[in-house]
Amino acid sequence: MQTIEVETPAALRCIETALSRAVKDIPALTPLLEAFGPLLTERARLRQTAPGWTGPALSIDAERFNQGAFVLAQTEFGGGFEDMSELLPEAARTLLPVMARSFPAIAEELTTLGAAIESGALTPQALAGAGFGESVEVPGVSPMTLNFAASELVRPFVERQAEDLAAMVKVLPWNQAHCPVCGGAPNMSVLRRKEDESEFIQAKGGQRFLRCSCCTTEWKHKRVSCPACGCEEPDELLNLRDPARAHERADACSRCKAFVLCLDTAELAELPDLDVAALTMLPLEIQTRQQGYKPLAEHPWSSL
Amino acid sequence: MPKAFLIDTSRCTACRGCQVACKEWKNFPAVPTKQHGTHQNPPDLTHYNFKLVRFSEHMENGTVHWNFFPDQCRHCIDAPCLAASAVPGAIIKDEATGAIIYTEKSKKEDFASIRSACPYDIPRKDPKTKRIVKCDMCIDRLQANLLPMCVKTCAMGAMNFGERSDMLKLAAKRLATVQQEFPKAQLLNMADVSVIYLVADAPATYHKFAVADASDSTNAPGMTRKEMLAGAFSPLRKIAQSLQG
Ligand code: SF4
Ligand code: SF4
Ligand code: SF4
Repeated sequence: MQTIEVETPAALRCIETALSRAVKDIPALTPLLEAFGPLLTERARLRQTAPGWTGPALSIDAERFNQGAFVLAQTEFGGGFEDMSELLPEAARTLLPVMARSFPAIAEELTTLGAAIESGALTPQALAGAGFGESVEVPGVSPMTLNFAASELVRPFVERQAEDLAAMVKVLPWNQAHCPVCGGAPNMSVLRRKEDESEFIQAKGGQRFLRCSCCTTEWKHKRVSCPACGCEEPDELLNLRDPARAHERADACSRCKAFVLCLDTAELAELPDLDVAALTMLPLEIQTRQQGYKPLAEHPWSSL
Repeated sequence: MPKAFLIDTSRCTACRGCQVACKEWKNFPAVPTKQHGTHQNPPDLTHYNFKLVRFSEHMENGTVHWNFFPDQCRHCIDAPCLAASAVPGAIIKDEATGAIIYTEKSKKEDFASIRSACPYDIPRKDPKTKRIVKCDMCIDRLQANLLPMCVKTCAMGAMNFGERSDMLKLAAKRLATVQQEFPKAQLLNMADVSVIYLVADAPATYHKFAVADASDSTNAPGMTRKEMLAGAFSPLRKIAQSLQG
């Protein structure tokens, strides 16, 4: 498996440049970028200080891994990320106000949620549970808002742990379409140029990496193939794109009607932050859905 | 964040893809040319050729060596051409990329002094528009986050582009590799330019202006003779310019 390590201080700068470029290039998306931009930045900041994987080094069975048993499926204790619940109240103090400013429509609910966390009415454990999709009730906060806020809260910790876990299996082969670390489905993909030491003509196309919707781990995946059904018939695989933004595409499969967004970085001078890139691809995502395709996994903004 | 090129001539096959791609992107017409007994064509940079693959043959111990040098503006860090400029706004530095850009106002510059200020003999004059012209780092493409055309085109990995810090790292790595086979390999004027060449042999065996001319240096720290002269004359030129309007 080949993964890309995320270097955090550079990551923050990368988000900022990608955001300001996107605002300039697609003014129509400004409200969306202004709403999610600060959230992405704050998340990156939290990721920078998050502890990573502190548990014991895992003993990965290479054979099982090769057959698709991802890292967290091979842990002895329950198969999840390490409990980060005690760090969540502190994270909530910075993240919830940022979210409240970005999303005025749910600002009141977010304030109520913040108060419930501070008073202990919502325990950190329950909050973490909500972040992983468990149904938890907080009076005055809709389940949708709670789920959105809680999953954004756990994300930086999950991503940071995943970085460490991915490093443990860097050298092992991985041919699956689900995440090698947590088993999540990809909601984004990217074609990256390969540094080529050979003396021969160099491929310009780049290698395809899928990116996990849950922990943002990236892994190499066969280029001409549908990650949902495995179809490898070139006639059935489509690249939908807006000719004016040719480096952004939706890789769709006419056999199973699934798609995954794809950023082709072969010609780009600078690699943009991939969350921001996915955000700028929302119009394409919507058009692709309108044509009857379904994403393998969603982004927080997909259902807006 | 300043950008840089690493042009690894040890990988260049002189296919001239970059030279043609540059012309294509700029929509430049063909230029009349002459056969000078070499594959280098046209013989020199022109106002329609911002990039030129230079071919240089020489004999060493009975073996013919053929060196290729894809020549272009170096986008100098402290650009002597910019220092020599007498017309405000004619030669500017794009802070985001480090590109040295000649604008419309370059029409009013004294071409001879700008050209002679350049240690690499890059600037040319467009006789039609009267502008002084050269490689602009494909600033239009960079602003759209696209690689310079010559870099996108090169199929041999000779043309590399990215953050300066990354290119310096790549340069050091490639130098170490190339030096194993060619002990004379070196990086040219690395500290002073944004377009860093890796050559496998003495720079002079590639091109007369491959490196900034060392004989130009004077006692003034950090200043070439040309820069100093340009500095001395520019106030005069500014006055002359303002008289001409
Ligand atoms: S190479 Fe010559 S033209 Fe280019 S920036 Fe340097 S001095 Fe100016
Ligand atoms: S950067 Fe652009 S203008 Fe400069 S040589 Fe390359 S293609 Fe030509
Ligand atoms: S495209 Fe690359 S290999 Fe071809 S001449 Fe230019 S630098 Fe050399």
